[in-house]
Amino acid sequence: MLYVELIAQGLVQGCIYAAIALGLTLVYGLLRILHVAHAALFTLGAYIGVLTTNATGSLALAFVAAMLVSGVAGVAVFRLGYQPILNRPPFVALIASIGLYIAAEEIFRIVFGASGLSFVAAPLQSQVPIFGGLQFKQAEIAVMLGTALIIAVLAYLQNRTRIGVACQATVSDPQMAESFGVSLQMVRDINFFVGSALAAFAGVWVGLLNNLVEPTMGSVPAYKALAIIVLGGLGSVQGTLLAALTLGIIESFGTIYLGKVLDRNAIAFAFLIAVLLVRPQGMFASK
Amino acid sequence: MGYEITLLTTMGISILFALSLNLITGFCGQISLGHAAFLGIGAYASALSTKAGAPFFLAVLFAMAFAGIIGVVVGLASLRVRADFLAITTMGVGFLFVGIVRQQDALGGELGISGIPDTGLSRPAFMVLTLILAAIAAALSIYIKRAWMGRVFAGIAEDEDTMRVLGIDAPSYKLAAFAIGTALAGVAGALYAHHLKFIGPESFGFVESITVLSMVVVGGIGSVAGVAIAAALLSVLPAWFQIIGDYKLLVYGGLLFLMMRFAPGGLAGIFASAMQSRNRTTNRGKP
Amino acid sequence: MTKPLLKVSDATVRFGGLTAVDHVSFEVNEGELLGLIGPNGAGKTTALRAVTGVVQLSSGSVELDGQRIDHLSIDRRIRKGLSLSQQLVKPLRDMTLLENVVLAAGYNKTASPLKALVNVDDAAERKIAQAMLDKVGIGPLANQKPAIQPLGILKRLELARALALQPKLFLLDEPLAGLNSKEARDLASTIVELNKSGMTIVLIEHNLGEVIRVCQRLVVLDNGRKIADGEPRGVMNNSEVRAAYLGGDVVAEKGGVHASY
Repeated sequence: MLYVELIAQGLVQGCIYAAIALGLTLVYGLLRILHVAHAALFTLGAYIGVLTTNATGSLALAFVAAMLVSGVAGVAVFRLGYQPILNRPPFVALIASIGLYIAAEEIFRIVFGASGLSFVAAPLQSQVPIFGGLQFKQAEIAVMLGTALIIAVLAYLQNRTRIGVACQATVSDPQMAESFGVSLQMVRDINFFVGSALAAFAGVWVGLLNNLVEPTMGSVPAYKALAIIVLGGLGSVQGTLLAALTLGIIESFGTIYLGKVLDRNAIAFAFLIAVLLVRPQGMFASK
Repeated sequence: MGYEITLLTTMGISILFALSLNLITGFCGQISLGHAAFLGIGAYASALSTKAGAPFFLAVLFAMAFAGIIGVVVGLASLRVRADFLAITTMGVGFLFVGIVRQQDALGGELGISGIPDTGLSRPAFMVLTLILAAIAAALSIYIKRAWMGRVFAGIAEDEDTMRVLGIDAPSYKLAAFAIGTALAGVAGALYAHHLKFIGPESFGFVESITVLSMVVVGGIGSVAGVAIAAALLSVLPAWFQIIGDYKLLVYGGLLFLMMRFAPGGLAGIFASAMQSRNRTTNRGKP
Repeated sequence: MTKPLLKVSDATVRFGGLTAVDHVSFEVNEGELLGLIGPNGAGKTTALRAVTGVVQLSSGSVELDGQRIDHLSIDRRIRKGLSLSQQLVKPLRDMTLLENVVLAAGYNKTASPLKALVNVDDAAERKIAQAMLDKVGIGPLANQKPAIQPLGILKRLELARALALQPKLFLLDEPLAGLNSKEARDLASTIVELNKSGMTIVLIEHNLGEVIRVCQRLVVLDNGRKIADGEPRGVMNNSEVRAAYLGGDVVAEKGGVHASY
């Protein structure tokens, strides 16, 4: 029974990692930028989520607001931050991104306070028995269903709409966007919007699961999501999903069996380093 | 007087530490986001040695050798992955170091190691020693830059594949950069531990790694004078202005972002282009 | 008959299910200027990469001067006496033209990190580098940066840099590609002069006119296989070669080969 519980916990965590890492993968696939500041949009989403819920009492509205605000903020980060330095060596954007993230974390602290915000009446907190005494928080079930749903919708849009297909084609060849009648600028903006909205989606859920939104909540996901996209073979969407779920499960087992030797974050990176030593191209890369 | 001595000692340690990263990232182009781990390895190795009764100078040598050896091991990982992957792998090494130290009672766990023995040097003498070692590191950096090693490093930083076609055994050179850079970081760590008399895992985490990277970036990647000046300034600014002390991370983060966004060449780059435009104006003045 | 300098025996390179080079054998003799030609996708560049070590052989062997080199890394093979001038020129952009060549000329001082650490002086290498730049006709540009140079100059820089390694065997991958006809003719003449001064050269080239003009012997690949090996005129009259170049099963009329110049 313990195993089932650990796997279930791992999947919940894995879904959250997946939602965060997907945006990062989209950006990396398109622009080869390791977008650390992505996690700031995750935190921003969480703040908008908790503020909207507390003000209106509607969780649905909170999701819409969070995803819109973070999405627009993501496009702004791209246009003002990355666009002008795209033709510099890759580390320039990486370091800029780290700087941006650190500054953002401090701004959250200054604006919203160091101790964080909670939901006044946190929804979806009651326990639901599933089978054999296994219990889930409503929110945990909702995270899994919600992530699966949103990824399915994205996959549908990507394969069935003109803009979706153009986005995919642009990853392998920037010239392709134009041949679909879509400008390269638009493809990039859409990628940042969608990726950042996904991060906000994950942010609201994390806030709900912990019933706490704090300035530093993005720091661990920021770096762990990087580990995930490397494991997934940088730029591969399927690889990223698999890597996110795998890491979620490995962590949930690791904290039980390796907790004496390593803390949770170290387990993730020990796993990453071990994988890279065996498969330098990433766990799920096809090359 | 005591205050100035502390300030200058801190400055010297920061310069030494920043120059050690500059060898790896600035000269050889290998991005490290986990360099603080080697400061930590040096600090712990030396603190444990002197607590076990070893003389201070021996402990410094031990810290240097030990950090250098671990550096070569990490360097071996860097041979398998490159560029973007390397940044994340080294970040992982940083998290791994903190994760391991935290869970080991022998290393003091969360509480760290306190009561690190006196070096036998007076505080001014310790300051002079620190400044001398920083000067030696600067001299060594300048020498390496002028030697054939510096050319090869510069070539590897720019285009490793081309260097291999020119008969350069790039992996050996990268290992050499890691060995020298991490050994120097080990020395800085030993000085750090015996200056503060107390060390804990949090002093060598991701924030420290980013802080030292920001010194290198703000100074101008690869520029010995630029990096030394930036390290000196950034290490003492927070102490001078209490207000920055509180917003230290905001300033660091903001500086990193703004530097990369507007002046990726750092102080050295700004200085060089200022000289150039001055020359141009003087030349224009001539008939 | 002299001992071959380079001996490629039964070389095969597979990428997944695709066989790019299929049991190819050829030799390069000391002092020779050999052309390695074939239509697009024939496997010429892959064969050359297998010689330099950029790709690994699936089977077969490569010998330089009687020594197996196919298990060595790229840089070790270079140090055994190979030198490669790449199709895509890749100068180090932060260095002057001269510095680029100096880096190659210092190969003895960069053999190991330790040697590179203890050696500072570069007067001798600067002299060699200047001589190499003069030899390929771009001596006066020595102190310029590569960024502002046209392709023709960069191709010559690539040549000078590869020469500065003082190779036994010089491999040239499409040195004429992207040049106009006058530039191509001039550079081809420079290559002939190099060969006359004693350099053994393998030339991969699309520009058939220049290849036939300058090479003493041709090896022709098609679909990864060697289909001809011999003196240029005879090879170009070979019906299989003409069919390969003209495509499909069409056997060319006499003299049809001229059409593909």
